[in-house]
Amino acid sequence: MNRHLRRIIASLSPQQKAQIEEERRRAYDFDPRDPLFGLSTDELSGPQLSRRSFLRLVAASGGTLSMSHLLGAAGIVLPQAARAAAQSGGHLICGWAGTAEITTLDPAVINAVLQFQVASNVLSGLTHINADLVAEGDLATDWSVSEDGLVWTFNLRQGVTWHNGDAFSAADVVYTYNRSKNPENSIHYGNLINVLDVVALDDLTVQLTLARPQASLLVKTLERSSGRAMTIVNGNAIESLGLQEYGLKPIGTGPFRVTEHQLGQGVVLERFDDYYDPARPVLDKVTIIPIPEIEPLAAAIETGDIHLIGGNAVAAELIDRFLGNPDLVVDEIAGNGFQSVFVNPWREPMQVDDFNPSVDELKQQNGFKVRLALAKAFDRERFIQRALFGRGVPGFGTINPAMGFYFDTAINETSEQRFDVEAAQALLADAGFPNGEGFPTLKLLTTPAGRRAAEVMVDIYRNNLNINLELDVKDFTVLIEDAFRMEYDLMALGSGGDFDPDDGLVDWMQTSSRFNGPNRNDDDLVEKFGERPFGSFSDAYVDELIDQQAVTADPEARKVLVQEANQITSDKVASIFTHHLTEILVHRAEVTYPAESRIVGLRDLDRASIG
Amino acid sequence: MRRGGAVSALPAASAEDMPERPTAYQFLLRDKRAIVGMAVLGLIVISTVCASFISPYDPLSQEFDILQPPSPVHPLGTDDLGRDLFTRILYGARVSLFVGVVTVTISMMLGVAMGILAGYYGGWIDIFFMRYIDLQWAFPNFIIAVYLVAVFGTGLANVIVAISLAFLDDFARITRGMVLSIREEEYVLAARSIGASGPVIMLRHILPNAIAPIIVQATLSVSFAILAEAGLSFLGLGVKASTPTWGLIISDARSFFTRAWWLGIYPGLAIMITVLSINFLGDALRDVLDVRND
Amino acid sequence: MRYFVARVIQALIVVWAVGTLVFFMLRAVPGDPIQALLADVDPSAADAIRAKLGLDQPVFVQYLFWMRNTLAGDLGQSLYGSHQAVSQQIAEAIPRTVSLALVAFLFSFTLGLTAGIVSAVKRDSILDYGLNLAAFLGISMPSFWIGIVLIIVFAVNLRMFPAIGYKPISAGLDQWLRYLILPGLAVGLPFSASIARLTRSAMLEVLGQDYITLARSKGLNERRVIFRHALRNALIPVVTVMGISLALLFSGSVVVENVFAIKGLGRVLIQSILNRDYPVVQGSILLVAVLLVFMNLAVDMLYRLIDPRISYD
Repeated sequence: MNRHLRRIIASLSPQQKAQIEEERRRAYDFDPRDPLFGLSTDELSGPQLSRRSFLRLVAASGGTLSMSHLLGAAGIVLPQAARAAAQSGGHLICGWAGTAEITTLDPAVINAVLQFQVASNVLSGLTHINADLVAEGDLATDWSVSEDGLVWTFNLRQGVTWHNGDAFSAADVVYTYNRSKNPENSIHYGNLINVLDVVALDDLTVQLTLARPQASLLVKTLERSSGRAMTIVNGNAIESLGLQEYGLKPIGTGPFRVTEHQLGQGVVLERFDDYYDPARPVLDKVTIIPIPEIEPLAAAIETGDIHLIGGNAVAAELIDRFLGNPDLVVDEIAGNGFQSVFVNPWREPMQVDDFNPSVDELKQQNGFKVRLALAKAFDRERFIQRALFGRGVPGFGTINPAMGFYFDTAINETSEQRFDVEAAQALLADAGFPNGEGFPTLKLLTTPAGRRAAEVMVDIYRNNLNINLELDVKDFTVLIEDAFRMEYDLMALGSGGDFDPDDGLVDWMQTSSRFNGPNRNDDDLVEKFGERPFGSFSDAYVDELIDQQAVTADPEARKVLVQEANQITSDKVASIFTHHLTEILVHRAEVTYPAESRIVGLRDLDRASIG
Repeated sequence: MRRGGAVSALPAASAEDMPERPTAYQFLLRDKRAIVGMAVLGLIVISTVCASFISPYDPLSQEFDILQPPSPVHPLGTDDLGRDLFTRILYGARVSLFVGVVTVTISMMLGVAMGILAGYYGGWIDIFFMRYIDLQWAFPNFIIAVYLVAVFGTGLANVIVAISLAFLDDFARITRGMVLSIREEEYVLAARSIGASGPVIMLRHILPNAIAPIIVQATLSVSFAILAEAGLSFLGLGVKASTPTWGLIISDARSFFTRAWWLGIYPGLAIMITVLSINFLGDALRDVLDVRND
Repeated sequence: MRYFVARVIQALIVVWAVGTLVFFMLRAVPGDPIQALLADVDPSAADAIRAKLGLDQPVFVQYLFWMRNTLAGDLGQSLYGSHQAVSQQIAEAIPRTVSLALVAFLFSFTLGLTAGIVSAVKRDSILDYGLNLAAFLGISMPSFWIGIVLIIVFAVNLRMFPAIGYKPISAGLDQWLRYLILPGLAVGLPFSASIARLTRSAMLEVLGQDYITLARSKGLNERRVIFRHALRNALIPVVTVMGISLALLFSGSVVVENVFAIKGLGRVLIQSILNRDYPVVQGSILLVAVLLVFMNLAVDMLYRLIDPRISYD
């Protein structure tokens, strides 16, 4: 990777080099000192903001992220290149990839990125992340927090109007809280477990009381799109329209209002004239058409039938084709998720009953040797080339490169999982399987959508360790049951939409994590295997680190804890971390999509223009 | 045509007329459709059996550059994972033909058994089986296969079961119709009068005389089954092993069609040629065995 | 009349049996949709949702509820998104499937009849052989593959028709048709091959009959013989096929709707199967059953009315 990077840098002109050096240096300066507890982050959203997502990426790319995609050399046009004076008005037609319909826009039941991408243009939250994943005020203008970190007071924006003409007030925030904390209403009530109470101090002030301090409150819980539990909804409208209609055409306070929505046909958004920021939105009208198939989607943007692609990730095989098209702008940034292959520690030959011993001690056990061999033999570069056509970044942990500040750029060098075929072969031989002989055929559980990538994995293991894996393809509904019950040998599973370290660590890496085999002790399983104290991984020290970081307010201190937890989970092969996807925005050249709207995973159209 | 009505043999040949069979074979060998059909099918079967001699490559190995157009080295090009397409189609024939033949065998055995039992014994057995068959008859076979996969889940075994059950009713109907017309024939009555048991009569006397339309139906069903498997695979309801079936190869290649036409065209042609030969053969058989649609 | 009533009752029983079978079979399926729905959120919220949707009740109780609701015309609601009513989803899908079936029907009968007649009249000519081969090819190609080839040629390369999607007839007849031509062909072509073969053999049979020979010997011109005398009689079996053809066209459109991303019944069915959206699977299967069973019934009745040789017992 570094060699790759160096080669690119070597090919640059001295001027370009100087520029990159300068930007790299400043990138660290720009790293928000206070990414979460910035309290009022307005000073961070200064005029430089438009360049910051670019700079942050350069910073992140130091170790693992190929810089090629940031440079003109690779032919990718940076968002800045397309910049022009924003023209107001216009009708933007978007294709939403990989879906036949946008089933709902009600934040209480939204369960897919492609849904909250739309909702983020219609509804508001107290906060909204910016391109650096830093929370900024949305319906809240500023906030303060008590010494103990438990009581948060938010001042709300004045003169905000709902799409139906109602005036926005603190009562709406309280209503949303009460609605969302009830599991019967919202599938996201879990995000509010730490929020004990929300009260309106007056019309424009609300106070939240937490059970424990929470570092991720602004980014995870109160964020308008990804959080969903506190995306502010209008109680009157829900009452009068009914849930179904509100799910299709929610009344919000966002820059656009939904004027039409027919399932399977698309959503029409129109400019909301009374939006709190008179400068936004720029566009008059946005039409969003779901296009499930890859080829028609490509044809539509190439012919200009659509101007911009949102929804699920654009199929990687299309990107090279788009890059060659001067009518199109392709913008690739680090994605915010991790992908991995879980290795069931309850099954032979990769059995490990206790992950608490040190890595050196674990290395004495055959089960751990096998796990480590599998992790080290995984040729991430080849995998990314073959399975993703190069659109990915090698992964070594749950912390993704989009979380620039927390992301450990050296982990590809320091992790025990770093790629080394000879070492992997030696470990496997050591564990009793010289040249893969006698190694059982393990089943690799994956979804239909993941089958292609899994086939690449199978091939890599066949070549590098001379072992055979068999694919076990199950629909996601079935796979997740097996995952929760720990009924698999190997399982390809990952996460997307992770904006805060908690999304990786708390959800996946703790003994009590909700993805750590929560149903492993179902009655029938206990009968067969006995009580099992954890699912895929458990380390008492890691649990402690993760608990600590979750309540650590100081970002520098939190970063240290996050990175240590990440390192240990990587070294002890909590999972074979494979890659992080990159996030790619494709739009036509006549569309201006400013860098400050370039928030990973989202398609905020309030600043976009066409002309 | 699925619903052309029951197929029946005319005239109902008797067991003593067995010398009719060689004639049928001779006829078959004179029929051009049959010759072409059998020759092509034979070629396909032989090449898939000898696949490892014909192609030097491994159908699963991703050792080549991806999406190479057809060339002397890779006569049908390579796919999106760098596998040789010709080799994959060659090996894919195994699974596709296997699914076709096995499903039809299962559904023929079950259907014929049902039909004979219902036709011979009549009464509540007949009512019970026929109500079920009527239920199934109300739906196109492919829809039934989709329903069944919806219930059983995907995977090779489930797809085989689903398609087998979906085609069951055709066999049951035909057999029952034949049995009803043969049951009262003199030689059956004679066999019964000398005390032959039910199973003996059914297997020795009735089945051989009902076999012609069943053979025709079976032949044509193999082609339907291959198409059904391809359709299910395409919808994401099919076989999902790493071993390719033709339907799966097409389905997987969907997003590469414009960049690599060979990925879409050749497996489709493989299906078409196979199904075409089976249809040729089935059509010829129908004429030769003098089975017609009423 | 008694016969008619008996047949309607029979049809209702078939529909009930299908509904019941599907209901119980679906509940034996592995995979919990609620768990999957919440996978990225919070597995423990599952119980609340199950309770809300009545999925925590014993299966038999669920069945009774389902029966009661279905009889009241309430097919339940989708497990996903904004829980759209199944009946609404199906109501939106029906016009699309019917449009597709209609266009496919037109294609298959015009193509099939023409080819069949030409084949029979020019029996054993090169044209006949060519058309015969074409018909064989037609029934040997998977319809989705035809669809894909059509998209590549006519939508992607020639840009003559849109690659995917659907426009309702309210958007204008030309728009409606533009979107339906390729999928209509994909569904219709295999079927037209069957029609062609059927027409050809029926025509040949009729052309061999005495009255045709008689007509010819009377010196009637050939065109008149073919169109007035032969065709009319040959069409009888073809027309009977038309009735059941809708069932087959529907089965073809299940696949083709998925190629062209038309959200008709087929796509609703397949999507719901893939998502294990029970109520939608159940509702759409039930609706398809009703459609097919009553279509069969109608055809049967019509046939009996037209053809006096068939008795009512």
